[in-house]
Amino acid sequence: MAAALTSQLHALVNNMFATGLLDDQFQQLQMLQDFSAPDFVSEVVTLFCDDGERIIGELARELDKPNVDFDRVDSFAHQLKGSSASVGAQKVKNTCIQFREFCQQRSRDGCLKTLDLVRTEFYDLRNKFQAMLQLEQQIQACYPKH
Amino acid sequence: MARKMIRVLLVEDEEIHRVMARAAVKAAAGTEDDVLDLAENGAAAVRRVREVAPYDLILMDRQMPVMDGHEATRRIRAMGVTTPIVAVSSDGLPADVEAFIGAGADYFTPKPLSKEKLGNILAKFGLT
Repeated sequence: MAAALTSQLHALVNNMFATGLLDDQFQQLQMLQDFSAPDFVSEVVTLFCDDGERIIGELARELDKPNVDFDRVDSFAHQLKGSSASVGAQKVKNTCIQFREFCQQRSRDGCLKTLDLVRTEFYDLRNKFQAMLQLEQQIQACYPKH
Repeated sequence: MARKMIRVLLVEDEEIHRVMARAAVKAAAGTEDDVLDLAENGAAAVRRVREVAPYDLILMDRQMPVMDGHEATRRIRAMGVTTPIVAVSSDGLPADVEAFIGAGADYFTPKPLSKEKLGNILAKFGLT
């Protein structure tokens, strides 16, 4: 049972690398997990997922206002870019870079179109991260605690 | 041989970067948590530097509420503090780097922090 789940987990993570969802930074994250912080990856991934959902909501609200404060919008995009870089969320990070270019051009239309891309990439990754964490929990449950 | 114990001030407003930096410092320096202090913005960093015993290293974010990293760096330098200040930011364009160095930072490294980057920083400033 545990072996099958572990195999599923490896396949999922390999696929996330192969499709460019993740870059090498995710491996850096994994290297920081040790016996003194066994849930480190899970903690950082959860922070990323929570931050991302909150920031995408803020971006949509800001862009919906009659007078868009592009500096404020850019500040949120900057946060999401940094958060994405921390977990190696390559596609989300790259769409944030595109988004910020439209921000600098003060283009609401450009920002709105790119926000759709950011949202798509973020939720695709979040779903896969959630599947990954669920598999990890199932694997841990296969081994009784002493 | 045991590694030198160091005191690091991490100036960072976002939780995800604080968690990453804490883990990277611990992995690179082998330090205990009690030598890594946190300040959530530039103003809090200036207060800490003024009130707490000298730090060996300051890791400074740029974009923060209340006071940004450039201003905090300028104020810390104006106090006569010579502690190495390493700017840590996801904005790594030459103009961003120059602005931080101009404010008084000694070095710039792009986010996210990693064990390897921290190791290089500690070696650069003779903290290993």
